Amino acid sequence: MVITRRSPRQPAWHMLASEFSESSLHEKGSGEFDPSFVITKLGAKANRLIVAGLIERLEPRETANGSTLYQGQLRDPSGLHYFSVGDYATEAMREMVIDLAARIESGESLMLLMVAKARWFQNEEGSVYTSLRPEEACIISPSVYREWLAKACEQTLIRLDAQQKTASLETNRASLSEAGIPEHLIDGLILAKPHYGEFDSEMYRFNIMQALDIIENKDIVREKPTPKEETFEQREETPQAKEEPASESDLKQTILELIDALDQGEGVDFDTLLSNAAARGHERDAAEAMLDELSDGGEIHEPRFGWFKRT
Amino acid sequence: MTSDMDVHVQQVVAQVPGADPKKVEEAFVRYEKDFMVPPEDAFRSVLRRFQSDLGEVKPATGGASSSAALPNRKVNRFSELKGDDRNIEIEVKITTHNPRVQMIRGEEKQIAFGSVEDMPWAEGEGELWDYKDWGHNQNLSPGAIVRLEGVSVNEYQGKMSLNINQSSRIVVLQEGSRDVVNPSEPVEISSVKGEGMVTVVGRVLASREDVIHRKDGSGTLDVVRGRIGDDSGVIGFLSWEPFTHEVGSLVKIQHAQVRSFRNTPELNIGRSTKVEVYRDTNFTSLDDLSVLTVSKIEDLTDGNRDVECVVEVQNILVRTFSKEGGEEGKVWSGEVADPTGRCRMSCWQQPPFTEADLPVIVKITGARVRAWQGIPDITVDSAEQIELLASPPWEKDLDLSENVVEVELNSLTSGASRVGISTAGTIVSIRDDSGLIRRCSDCKRVLREGACATHGEQEGVEDVRLRMVLDDGSATLSLIVNRDACLTLLSSTEDEIKDRITADGQAVFVQSLRERMLGRKLTAVGRTIVDEQGAMLLAESCTIEVVDTVLLAAELRQHWGVA
Repeated sequence: MVITRRSPRQPAWHMLASEFSESSLHEKGSGEFDPSFVITKLGAKANRLIVAGLIERLEPRETANGSTLYQGQLRDPSGLHYFSVGDYATEAMREMVIDLAARIESGESLMLLMVAKARWFQNEEGSVYTSLRPEEACIISPSVYREWLAKACEQTLIRLDAQQKTASLETNRASLSEAGIPEHLIDGLILAKPHYGEFDSEMYRFNIMQALDIIENKDIVREKPTPKEETFEQREETPQAKEEPASESDLKQTILELIDALDQGEGVDFDTLLSNAAARGHERDAAEAMLDELSDGGEIHEPRFGWFKRT
Repeated sequence: MTSDMDVHVQQVVAQVPGADPKKVEEAFVRYEKDFMVPPEDAFRSVLRRFQSDLGEVKPATGGASSSAALPNRKVNRFSELKGDDRNIEIEVKITTHNPRVQMIRGEEKQIAFGSVEDMPWAEGEGELWDYKDWGHNQNLSPGAIVRLEGVSVNEYQGKMSLNINQSSRIVVLQEGSRDVVNPSEPVEISSVKGEGMVTVVGRVLASREDVIHRKDGSGTLDVVRGRIGDDSGVIGFLSWEPFTHEVGSLVKIQHAQVRSFRNTPELNIGRSTKVEVYRDTNFTSLDDLSVLTVSKIEDLTDGNRDVECVVEVQNILVRTFSKEGGEEGKVWSGEVADPTGRCRMSCWQQPPFTEADLPVIVKITGARVRAWQGIPDITVDSAEQIELLASPPWEKDLDLSENVVEVELNSLTSGASRVGISTAGTIVSIRDDSGLIRRCSDCKRVLREGACATHGEQEGVEDVRLRMVLDDGSATLSLIVNRDACLTLLSSTEDEIKDRITADGQAVFVQSLRERMLGRKLTAVGRTIVDEQGAMLLAESCTIEVVDTVLLAAELRQHWGVA
């Protein structure tokens, strides 16, 4: 009798792009059916991810063997996910991606949610790149995107907390378990700790902050808003921000609050301020003008180029 | 029965798979009779003979021993091994080591058994296998990391183990350091799992004499069955030796063998087990432990014995059947519930209540649990095991007929099958075969290409169902949504679904389901079936949750202190 120990289906991790793209550790079992994993800095031992964001690019590429590989990018508040759909994908997925590519080409903005396998690739210099192979995907509305964001933030916060606790613990199953680290994080944390060593997780917290901002302002940052936005059924849900731009005093208040909230001592950088202001419904140009105005008025200063602080 | 001879024959066969065990035994007997060479000394000669007979070994050069001529295959993990692999070299951590002395023809023979873990250098990564040491190796000690050279794999009824042979070599790479469970040190009863050897201290909660009929009809064996418990839990025991300790007495059971029957561990008290009275005035009293022994429906699993529980009987039906020999038999079966869930009950004698009395609260003692399609069935053999209670031990107003117990998804996938549960998770997959299906008109199974596996080609009966995967981030289960739940979930009629599939095709229809549901949170109510394939939830009703994301964001900020 041949006993096949096929692993049960691997769970999908809700994860922001920054956490996944910064991963450089992977694991592959030796058995034929053993799943492979990408292990993130926060200890997610992920074989499958559930991600969402705005499709930034989706183009076909001819491969060496003559087949077509679609490569795309998905933007969430923390960065980009790279994904590819090739011959190995299901027919439904391939058809969908051809259709999506055509719509992107014609200038539509589309929000996508996908359940995907985590892949990694190591180049000759030894750098590890992660990417995704979608299994199932669908176009989503802003409200579903916010739902996903909230869940991704929650899960990332749980991982952050576990990772921080692990830093001061002995790296073994028993002590992690005793410290109340969730069972499904223990394996990954044990592997991640020696590999990544100490690192600054502040950026992840900042990404979460951005994501929560987006949820609370009921608006989604679009890099390039297009007239095709009407295709979203949630048109009525999007706030009035677009129709009635937020007032100037509002903008001033927002920027000052942002600096207060985000300043870690060195000030807050230009890009962060503008994208957060945009998340709150202020146009970038207006925000930029307001920054100049506040600097001129002496309410904020620029200790070094591109970084702003309250005076 | 393992005789001295068998041990050696097995070892030769383990190393030379083509050898006929009978012939090997003959060779040993010949050495013993004709040359007065005992089997252990004759081993190498016999082994060598069979290896060369079967062309297993190249002409030996110099004085190299035959076993050294066989190259060892190095492996890192047990998963790389097959049932007939020999001459394996692997690094392992010894987790348990139990030496055993066996008397064989008046001679004491030292063998040892225990378990080893592969991938010894990666903490908590390894897989556990049992091993047997036939070579009386002194350097096997619990906690040590060793390199085993020239060991063979044994597969018995699908379970793989390692044989450390007399010709095997053991290199200690790291001395035992980690605390290893000593089979002589008492452990908490709740920690007794799977297989192995343990010592426990507990109070006898139940004990009765029983008889086991040998399957081959060669007679009977007197045994004692019962249960013992401590603060942490309760476990059944089966004593093959006289067991005279009364209910309530505190005993220490040393070196009991743990065996699992249908995933339920049980202590086996045999010849090498020592049972003695234990003195501890602070040990939990019988009365307090008795409370612990009352099972809740959520805890019942296939194979439980001597179960005591309090349930509400909700309905009951009498079924007649003909026994072997044409006699008519009756069985009363129905549904029961407690605040933790619902399950079935079967009673082989007329219960002390009728259908008109329902619902009634009963206390059941000494019952067995079997499971059908994963649903536990409390089996009662005699009416005396049922006692009517005037009032339930839980809140009176609790309406159990509609009671649905909320369970975390990940505890559903690891536990027993459950009825009347509700759970929530993210939809991570909607299977391509969701929508309209045809079922066999005889057995209700889904037709594949217009045919049923047992009832052949046919039209079948149309049905609607969804197949999805629900995921909570740490575990997944397959979700099957029945017709009614499906139509409610999609707020659609069967005809509408049919029209859409006819118009757009199956693929477009399923993709439209994904656009509606993929990535969303769903709550499902129904029952689960958990087996080796994983967990499946058969849903009677499903709802897509509308998440108040702004509120959730505020909660996250509050809880985690995100500025």
